[in-house]
Amino acid sequence: MSGRKETVLDLAKFVDKGVQVKLTGGRQVSGILKGYDQLLNLVLDKAIEFLRDPDDPLKTTDQTRHLGLIVCRGTAVMLVSPTDGTDEIENPFVQPDGA
Amino acid sequence: MLPLSLLKTAQGHPMLVELKNGETYNGHLVNCDTWMNIHLREVICTSKDGDRFWRMPECYIRGNTIKYLRVPDEVIDKVQEDTKSRSDRKPPGVGRGRGRGREDTSSKAKGIGRGMEDGGGRGGGRGRGGVSGGRAGGSRGGGRG
Amino acid sequence: MTDLKIIGNRNSQQQPDIKLLRLLVDKKMATDAGLENLVDQIISVITNDGRNIVGVLKGFDQATNIILDESHERVYSTKEGVQQLVLGLYIIRGDNISIVGELDEELDASLDLSALRAHPLKPVIH
Repeated sequence: MSGRKETVLDLAKFVDKGVQVKLTGGRQVSGILKGYDQLLNLVLDKAIEFLRDPDDPLKTTDQTRHLGLIVCRGTAVMLVSPTDGTDEIENPFVQPDGA
Repeated sequence: MLPLSLLKTAQGHPMLVELKNGETYNGHLVNCDTWMNIHLREVICTSKDGDRFWRMPECYIRGNTIKYLRVPDEVIDKVQEDTKSRSDRKPPGVGRGRGRGREDTSSKAKGIGRGMEDGGGRGGGRGRGGVSGGRAGGSRGGGRG
Repeated sequence: MTDLKIIGNRNSQQQPDIKLLRLLVDKKMATDAGLENLVDQIISVITNDGRNIVGVLKGFDQATNIILDESHERVYSTKEGVQQLVLGLYIIRGDNISIVGELDEELDASLDLSALRAHPLKPVIH
């Protein structure tokens, strides 16, 4: 392969910073990134999980539980984003035209 | 044309990505790889039902969770330019059909890799001057939900 | 055919390498019976989540990821005619594709979609 440039995202810049991770199956956790490898296994400290609506497991609620120090298995990691600057906002899209 | 070449060409452009779980992400493509893993900047995430929204400065999405990507129409024309200039530079059949038997696949993969790298530098430059204001991306989520 | 001749020459004194032969045949089938001859034609795609997307096939790869240009979604309902949503240029991941079909443009043009009622497709259950 050409130069093993396989990581699209350089996780180094997130080390010791808060990251939010979505996992296959719908769990969502956030914590401080302490380490990672090229398979996207992540070590998160002070991790919390956002609990989900028991009626609709696709929806997360604002309820959380503390997990502490965890490893997220790379194969299950769906999405990684920094917590810093991530906020829930109002609908930013112009009203979808009916058609 | 390979889907991943198109995606690579779309670097710097706004796009909409729907994941298998129904969430959609609108953002500018920073980078992608041969697994379709993507890195987006200035992202707006929309929940499956289109009723909640989050903004995030950037995010990394694993390729295999993607359902589809919507890219600006003009990107497809830029790919064609790229492929043409590439085939001018190299003898035909570099990507396909060289090597024999099994080796074929690996040579193909190499061809892809090189192509991507090519697009990389150019894509970034184009992006900055590039198209702004994606189409009303959110309407998809909202419209359905 | 040319492929097979080459193999024959290379292994003229010996038995042709069956595995290699099969590989070539498979490869030929993959291209001949595959999507190659649908490129630049209008195709209809049904995705795992039950959507029907129609557009011009611009490209594909081994994973059946496909590029659809000028695409639109056809939304079926029992209450009103078929709604067409303009989607534009799409890359659909192969994982998410159930069916790719050639679209008979003439036949399609003769349909009155606004009068057509149908149940929406259910998503694939994995």
